[in-house]
Amino acid sequence: MISNFFVLSPRGDTIIAKQYRNYREGGTGAHERSHTEAFFRKIKFWDEMNLTPGGEETSSDQQKSGEKQQKTGDAPPVFMMPDGLSYLHVKRNGLIFGCAAASNVSAVTIIDLLSTVARVFKDYCGTLSEEAIRKNFILLYELLDEMLDYGYPQITRTSTLKSCVYNEPIVVENIGSTSNMINPKTASANSVHKPVISSVNANGRKTDSNANQKNEIFVDILERLNVLFSANGYVLNSTIDGCIQMKSYLAGNPELRLALNEDLIIGKKESGTYGSVNVDDINFNDCVNLNEFESARTLTFVPPEGEFVVLNYRLTGDFNTPFRIFPSIEEVDSKTLEITILIRAEMPQNHFGANVSVELPLPKCTNVAHCNVISSPGTGYTNAEFVRSEGKILWTMKKLPGGTEQTMKAKVSLSQACTTQIRREVGPINLNFEIPMYNVSKLQVRYLRIAESMAGYTPYRWVRYVTQSNSYVCRL
Amino acid sequence: MPKGKDSSNANDSRFFTTQKKGELHELRMELHATEKQVKVDAVKKVIASMTVGKDVSSLFTDVLNCVQTGNIELKKLVYLYLINYAKTQPELTLLAVNTFVKDSNDPNPLIRALAVRTMGCIRVDRITEYLCEPLGRALRDEDPYVRKTAAVCVAKLYDIAPDLVAERGFLETLHDLISDSNPSVVANAVAALSEIAEASGKDVMKISAAVLQKLLAALNECTEWGQVFILDSLAKYTPADGREAEGIIERVTPRLQHANSAVVMSAVKVILSYMELMGSSNSDAIRALTRKLAPPLVTLLNSEPEIQYVALRNINLIVQKRPHILENEIKVFFCKYNDPIYVKMEKLEIIIKLVSEKNIDQVLLELKEYSTEVDVDFVRKAVSAIGRCAVKLERAAERCIGVLLELIQTKVNYVVQESVIVIKDIFRRYPNRYESIIATLCDNLDTLDEPLARASMIWIIGEYAERIDNADELLDTFLETFEEEDPAVQLQLLTATVKCFLKNPEDTQDMVQRVLDLATEESDNPDLRDRGFIYWRLLSTDPEAAKMVVLGDKPVIEDDIFKLDPSLLNSLIGQIATLSSVYHKPPDAFVVRRAAGTGLGGDEDDDEDDYEAENDVGGEDLLDIGGMGISDGGLYEPKAPMNKVVGPEKSNGIEVHAGFRQLNGTIRLEMDIQNISSQASVHGLAIQLNKNSFGLSPASQQIVCNPPIPTGGSGSAAVELVVTPSMLAPMPPGQPANPQVQVAIKNMATGNVFYFAVIFNLDALFSQDGTMERSAFIETWKSIDDRNELYGTVSDLPPSNVDIESVINKFKGYNCFFIARRPVPNAEGQEVVYFSMRTVTNMEFLAELTFKQGVNATKICLKTEKAAYAPLAKAALESMLRA
Repeated sequence: MISNFFVLSPRGDTIIAKQYRNYREGGTGAHERSHTEAFFRKIKFWDEMNLTPGGEETSSDQQKSGEKQQKTGDAPPVFMMPDGLSYLHVKRNGLIFGCAAASNVSAVTIIDLLSTVARVFKDYCGTLSEEAIRKNFILLYELLDEMLDYGYPQITRTSTLKSCVYNEPIVVENIGSTSNMINPKTASANSVHKPVISSVNANGRKTDSNANQKNEIFVDILERLNVLFSANGYVLNSTIDGCIQMKSYLAGNPELRLALNEDLIIGKKESGTYGSVNVDDINFNDCVNLNEFESARTLTFVPPEGEFVVLNYRLTGDFNTPFRIFPSIEEVDSKTLEITILIRAEMPQNHFGANVSVELPLPKCTNVAHCNVISSPGTGYTNAEFVRSEGKILWTMKKLPGGTEQTMKAKVSLSQACTTQIRREVGPINLNFEIPMYNVSKLQVRYLRIAESMAGYTPYRWVRYVTQSNSYVCRL
Repeated sequence: MPKGKDSSNANDSRFFTTQKKGELHELRMELHATEKQVKVDAVKKVIASMTVGKDVSSLFTDVLNCVQTGNIELKKLVYLYLINYAKTQPELTLLAVNTFVKDSNDPNPLIRALAVRTMGCIRVDRITEYLCEPLGRALRDEDPYVRKTAAVCVAKLYDIAPDLVAERGFLETLHDLISDSNPSVVANAVAALSEIAEASGKDVMKISAAVLQKLLAALNECTEWGQVFILDSLAKYTPADGREAEGIIERVTPRLQHANSAVVMSAVKVILSYMELMGSSNSDAIRALTRKLAPPLVTLLNSEPEIQYVALRNINLIVQKRPHILENEIKVFFCKYNDPIYVKMEKLEIIIKLVSEKNIDQVLLELKEYSTEVDVDFVRKAVSAIGRCAVKLERAAERCIGVLLELIQTKVNYVVQESVIVIKDIFRRYPNRYESIIATLCDNLDTLDEPLARASMIWIIGEYAERIDNADELLDTFLETFEEEDPAVQLQLLTATVKCFLKNPEDTQDMVQRVLDLATEESDNPDLRDRGFIYWRLLSTDPEAAKMVVLGDKPVIEDDIFKLDPSLLNSLIGQIATLSSVYHKPPDAFVVRRAAGTGLGGDEDDDEDDYEAENDVGGEDLLDIGGMGISDGGLYEPKAPMNKVVGPEKSNGIEVHAGFRQLNGTIRLEMDIQNISSQASVHGLAIQLNKNSFGLSPASQQIVCNPPIPTGGSGSAAVELVVTPSMLAPMPPGQPANPQVQVAIKNMATGNVFYFAVIFNLDALFSQDGTMERSAFIETWKSIDDRNELYGTVSDLPPSNVDIESVINKFKGYNCFFIARRPVPNAEGQEVVYFSMRTVTNMEFLAELTFKQGVNATKICLKTEKAAYAPLAKAALESMLRA
């Protein structure tokens, strides 16, 4: 399996490094720090010449040699380095979780493993940041020892790990890097920054239900939308990536029953009755017992401590898109464009889109753009302006209630006469938003109960529905 | 321990510490403190300095002393320290051996496991003997946590001392752990056994029916990682028959629903590998399975981008192997606005693989949209994808060209260049159909500044010189900068000018003279000079012949740039989810082998050559005796059918007889060389093959003649050939494959080059795994249309060559495998025998041979889907019968 494991800071410093195998005789040879440094340089300055991960030259590579575009894109997560080792990595919160492997290992497993390690780190530190890792490094090394032995994944569940880990986490104050975006109503469960606390005390004896711990469980029904509109407002492509995720702080690990819509239908081909909830595919966490799923659409499980995904589902095709975008471009004269964008919120009136932002890339030769928002009442603060450094118009709305619409008119003056090519540089329009307490697929949690009646056990249940944009784009 | 002693120790050491070591000294004091919390904090500080790279090895004994404690937290910390030094300073760790041995008997299972785990990491020979005892105990420990740690430790020990593992019987113990009651133990045992199997090259896993059941049972209980280990070892197992394969698939299928993508991918691998074994009789079951595979594969595309990337590289393989699985899912591969570039590029590749007449309009709309994005490489790939769609789908070609023309109108430099490059390919694919667009292309000549785009444009001008009024003027402008051009452009310019001259000799006489001068006299590039000289000679000797050569019809091209060779594809399907499947390369191509074994491999090669040489000496005589070799019962070894291919008059005095054969699984071109009148003795040759119908190319271009062949002497040489798709000559559909393999040989002694063609005997391509199940044979036989049957009679055979037993034996030597024989009903003395053959390029041939007692002739009936190669297979059978 893997030969080493490391975590690099966004600047490339090694924060955590652990070596599992040596491949050279008589020394550390292959996995010294210089190698992780070389690796970091490689992903930092990844040039497109290397797009084929095996390093072979393809014909398209050669054709580019004439006019080499100095561009740095994202490095693919798997590639080979000149030291003959394959390096795999994932990026989480700007940190790089990576490892090297000498043999033909399972790439999917390792990528999964790296994400899992990142998740466990987060469970234990509360947040995932360079500072949190540096402060807790002894705890994390201890965790790593239990999670990986000789490069093979061992125990990776937060709850199981608790029984063999002794160090206590040091909580790092979360300096609100993300908090400015997060509206308390749309904050997902993973924004609950509370570290999992080891269940063994210093004497090695298990402490049963921690008295001062609050019994809470956070449940999120999270849907990310991928929608693509054509210029005349038709939906070209639309999918929902949905999941139910939880973060459990329940003492004594009780068994839970989670009931979904009774009319939930799985599989694309069968056409459901009107109004039923239809998903293409669904998959479940290991711990979920599906005995009653077919008959009653009910899941039973003992929630593992920490953050976990109960199920993922996917839906393509017909659903009501929450926002419609109607753009139009007019050439007022050869050097002036007038762009109008109308956004209509089509969800029910008691819901609203929060933190809606619209991005409209403009041509490189744009001199200046004047934006003017015509808003209907009750929509709150909106602002639209041309951000020169990014070459686009950024239009933000704090709130866009269902059933209302907003229009933005922009007058764009160009430094040269408009050609078809320049016109093509306008767009596509990208929409970012969150809709609290609303989900598009209509998948619902009917109830969440504690299976056996435990006297006096009244956990706090926080169930939230959140719809977010993943890729919500309108072409021009 | 009395307090006084502690402090006195500290006092003593104060004498020995210098000022520089103040910090270390303080730590040492704290390590010897009586208060537990102080000790714990001290060890933490030591570890902290260790991880930032400070040398704290001088505190080793002090830290080690802390291990004698009942406090687990402290103990774990000490082990954290030890495990680090176990790697870098193993000698130091030897001091701790007693502690390890003691702790491996601790009542707390966590400590027992910790001791075994740490000991396994110390790569010192001397410690292994201490390790065996505790390891043996740990493998039988009552606590599963200890057993699972011990299982991994066996793999560690094997890495240091493989003999010791065998000697102590740890492999057997490990094998027993597969039946352990705890699934984590099973998982680690499987992981350790797989690793040992890979390292040793031996099948230590030994999956029997009983083991198989245990693995399948454990599959439901394990953690996700355990499931991956088990599925991966199942993928390496070959089920006995189709039914067993189906049974296992049934148990594995529920894994497709798993939330962990690694489990899903490994399950997909098992199912796809076993599907091959289910046979064509099970087409319904296979169809049902392919339907089940699509949703989980699509769901993988909703994971993190890193997983998506690996999944897409694998899906690329899967759609090549089984295009039906995802044929209706093309939409999910459309790029999202916020996909990382590496995901977008892979998606494009799959879109091209899945494009069909049904979805082409949708795809074109999408690709056109991509061509306006900001990332230049992505845009280029999208433009080139449009062209590849045109090459792939004849009926959509016109629409694709329409889109390309639209893009050219945008005048964006790189879009235009990329368009020109693919339009050249479209012209190659559909000659004389879309020349109307040439005018548009010519308007954009000025924007082309990349060599490939310029070369493509020049090719188009040359090819259609008669339709472009000012072709000669256009070429003339390019010629002005001839010397500064890239070699690729120079070559195209040379060819295009010659084409132009042949089509319109009057106006271009001067120009062709100028370009030939430039190519042959001014240039240092050997390719350019060679080509220049060839044209020159052709034009000066026989302009009509030149026309036939230069303006001849070109073979039709296909979109196969990223298509993998079928045998490589099959082996990669077995590697799904691994690095191999991400790189699209077999594991040997990138895995660094450990030092052992490489030297051995070299020796083996030498032996083989020696053996070969001896054999050839005897070969001459045996040829005349005919089939005598058969009767001695050993495996028949085929000879290469040697034919004279070149005489001394064409090759400066060397006569060559050549033929192909297969030896120990490698295809060889064998040559008998007679040095008739060449002055220097022949000591080495360089060889090159032209593209051929079989994709053959030499593994090495150098042939050494040992001993050298003096004037008047003779000798033999052989060159190993490999099959690569890039060497495959394009074949016009409906035509039989050309059996000729064109060879160029350079005599290194004289520098003289000569050419010849050898007829390829297809039996040299028959693979060793060409045998098939009798039932599969019958299925395949029935499934092949009667129109693809080929009949023939081979008569005048010597009597020994119609003895069925000896034919079967002899054919086996040719990798032509006996399936069944049966007497023909109602025909006295007649018997039919069935054989199967598969080439290394995965073409299957089935043959029915009819023999009649007392008749020195055989009737052949040959069936295959590869009609183009059928005559060759028949010819091969004939020569095999005669041999």
